[in-house]
Amino acid sequence: MSRAVLYRVAGLVAVVILLALPLASAELDGLGPLVFNSYFMHLAITAFFYAILASSWSLLAGYAGQFSFGHMAFMAIGGYTTGLIGKFIRFTTAPTELCADIPLPGNWWLVILNARRVGTIDETCIDMAKTQTLPSGALIIFPPVWASIAMGLVMGATFGLLVGWLVLRLRSAYLALFTIGFSEILRAALSAEIPITEGQSGLELLPLFPSGINLFGQTFSDTSKIPPYYAMLLLFLLVMLLMTWLASSRFGLFIRAIREDEEAAAALGVNIVRYKVLVFVITSALAAAAGALQAHYIGIITPNILIILQMSLVIAMAVIGGLENIYAASVGALVITFALELLRTNIAIGPIRIDMSLWRLVFFGLLLMLTLRFQRNGLLFPLLERLNRAGIAEETVAMRDASN
Amino acid sequence: MLKLNVNNICKNFGGLQVLKDVSFSVAGPELIGLIGPNGAGKTTLTNILDGALKPSSGTVYMNGERIDTRPAYGVARAGLGRTFQVTRAFRRMTVLENLLIPAMAMRATARKRDFEQKAQEVLEFLTIAHLRNEYARALSGGQQKLLELGRLLMLDPNMIILDEPFAGVHPRLMEVIYRYITEVNAQGKAFIIISHDMDTIFTLSRRLLVLNYGDLIADGDPQIVREDPTVKAAYLGEDEE
Repeated sequence: MSRAVLYRVAGLVAVVILLALPLASAELDGLGPLVFNSYFMHLAITAFFYAILASSWSLLAGYAGQFSFGHMAFMAIGGYTTGLIGKFIRFTTAPTELCADIPLPGNWWLVILNARRVGTIDETCIDMAKTQTLPSGALIIFPPVWASIAMGLVMGATFGLLVGWLVLRLRSAYLALFTIGFSEILRAALSAEIPITEGQSGLELLPLFPSGINLFGQTFSDTSKIPPYYAMLLLFLLVMLLMTWLASSRFGLFIRAIREDEEAAAALGVNIVRYKVLVFVITSALAAAAGALQAHYIGIITPNILIILQMSLVIAMAVIGGLENIYAASVGALVITFALELLRTNIAIGPIRIDMSLWRLVFFGLLLMLTLRFQRNGLLFPLLERLNRAGIAEETVAMRDASN
Repeated sequence: MLKLNVNNICKNFGGLQVLKDVSFSVAGPELIGLIGPNGAGKTTLTNILDGALKPSSGTVYMNGERIDTRPAYGVARAGLGRTFQVTRAFRRMTVLENLLIPAMAMRATARKRDFEQKAQEVLEFLTIAHLRNEYARALSGGQQKLLELGRLLMLDPNMIILDEPFAGVHPRLMEVIYRYITEVNAQGKAFIIISHDMDTIFTLSRRLLVLNYGDLIADGDPQIVREDPTVKAAYLGEDEE
C-alpha cells in the first residue's frame, strides 16, 4: 500500500469515527450504548474549536514562519462580529422610524438599533417601534445565524489583511510584540466600550440553532449538544481540507520558502508580499469562523478569551503536537483539550491530596518545557516524518552508488 | 538578444557613498567578471541589479524595460537571476522542492509535476541527482552551492549574477561549477561573476569590470585591464588576493 493511500484510509477512518461518535451519546435514544454524556460532547466541541485554532496557527507560524500572538484576537473578531450583528441588526417589513432604517429590495428594511440614540438598554428603539410606529402584523426577524457567522469570517479576513500588511517588514520578536499589542488593544477596547460590547459582563448571542433542528428524524432543542457537535466538526473538516490543499499547492511551497529565506525566495520570483499577506488573511478568516461558531455555541463572549494565557494554550497545543504540520497541531489540540479535563481528577497519595484542578496547569507547563527542550518538532510530527521519509536515505545511497 | 543598460547608478548608505555614477551595458550572452577589493561595492551593485536594493539615483533597463523600480521578484521574472555570497538554500525543504519554487513562481498556472522531469535533468547536470529527496540542510556546503545554481536553471533567466561561486569549494566541485558557467553561457545566457579567485576569473571571463570604492575604474578585455595602471595601483599590484 502506498503512503498516499495509507494516509487517505487513515483520514477516512478518523472522519467516520468522529461522525459516528454522537451515536454513543446519551442524547440519541436507542441508537447505541449511552457512553457519552453531554459533558463529553461539550469537550469534543471545544476540542474541535481548539484544533481549528491550533492548526491554522501552525500554517501561519510553522509553515510561513510568521510567529503571531494575535491569532486569538482574530478569533474574537469573528465572535464579536456575529454577536454585534445579532445585537444591533434586525430585518423588518416596515420602517421603524425610530432606529436607522435602510430600505432593501422586496419591501424589507435593514434596521440598525441604537444608531439614532433612541431608546435605552432596557427598551431599545425596536421595542418602542413595536408599540408606537410599526403597523400591526409587521415582521421583525433576527439576521440568520449562519449569515452573521459568515460576516464574522469576512471581518476576520479584513483585519487579517490589515494586520498582515502592517507587519510585512516585522520579523520574529518584533512581529510577536506587535501582535501581542494588537491583541491587548482589542481586549482593552472590547472591555471599555460597554454600551456596545457589554464589556466584561459579556455579549450574549443566539444559540446556533435558535429554533432547534431536525437530524436523523429526531428533533433537537436549541440546547442539545449534538447539532453544535456536527457544526463544529464540519467546520473542522472543511478547514483541514482547505489547509491540506493549500499546503500541498504552490501556496504551501512558497510560504515555506518565505519562512526559510525571504530574500532568496524573492530573488527566485516569489511575490513575498502577496503570500505573506495572504497567509494572514486566510488563517485569520479561519480563526474568526471558529470564534464565531464557538461564540454562538457557548451563547456568550467576553473579552477574557483574549487573555495571553488563551493564546499560549493554542501555541502550546501546536508546539506539543508539532508546529510544522497541520495534522500534528490539530491532533495535539484534540488530545490536550481532553487531557486537561481528565487531569482535573484529584489524586491522593497516602495522606497527601493533590488538587489537580490547579496542579494540572503545572504539569501541562512542564510538558511544554520538556517538549521544547527535547522534541522541538513536537511529539507527533517526528512520527509522521519517520513514516513520510522511510526509505529515503537508503534510496539516496543506492542512487549515489549507482551513479559512481 | 539580452540587452542590459546600467546608467549612472549611485548608492548612498547615510553619508557613505558606496557606488559613484556606475554605468555599463551588456549586450548578448557575455561572460563578465566583476572584481574589486573588499568594500568596493560589488555586492551592493548586485543587490541593485537584482531589485533587492533601490539605487539613490540612476536607472537600470533590461531589454528596454526599466527594472530598478521593480521589486526583487519582478526583476527575477523579467529574467535576471542571482546567487548569494553566503549560500541561501531553503534548508528545511527538499532538494526537489528547492528547484520547484522558481519554476512555479515563473508560471502562475503551473503544477509541480510539470517540472519534475526538468528538475531531474538539472540535478543530473549538477551531479547531485541522488540527493533529490533529501532536505537541503543535509547537503554539504559545496552541494548547497550547486543547488543554488540549479535553482537558477529552473528560473531560466537571460542573465545570471554569481556572487563568489568558487569561494570555499573543493577542486572537483569547482570543475562542475566551471563547466556549468561555460555550458550555460554557450546556451545564450549572460553571466556576471564576482570572484576573488584571480586565476579563474582571468581565464573564464571575456570582459572584466573593476570596482574600487564605488568607482568603476576599468571595463574591457581581461588582459588589457590587467595591465591598466589604475587597476594595478588600486588592486592587483598591491594586494594579490
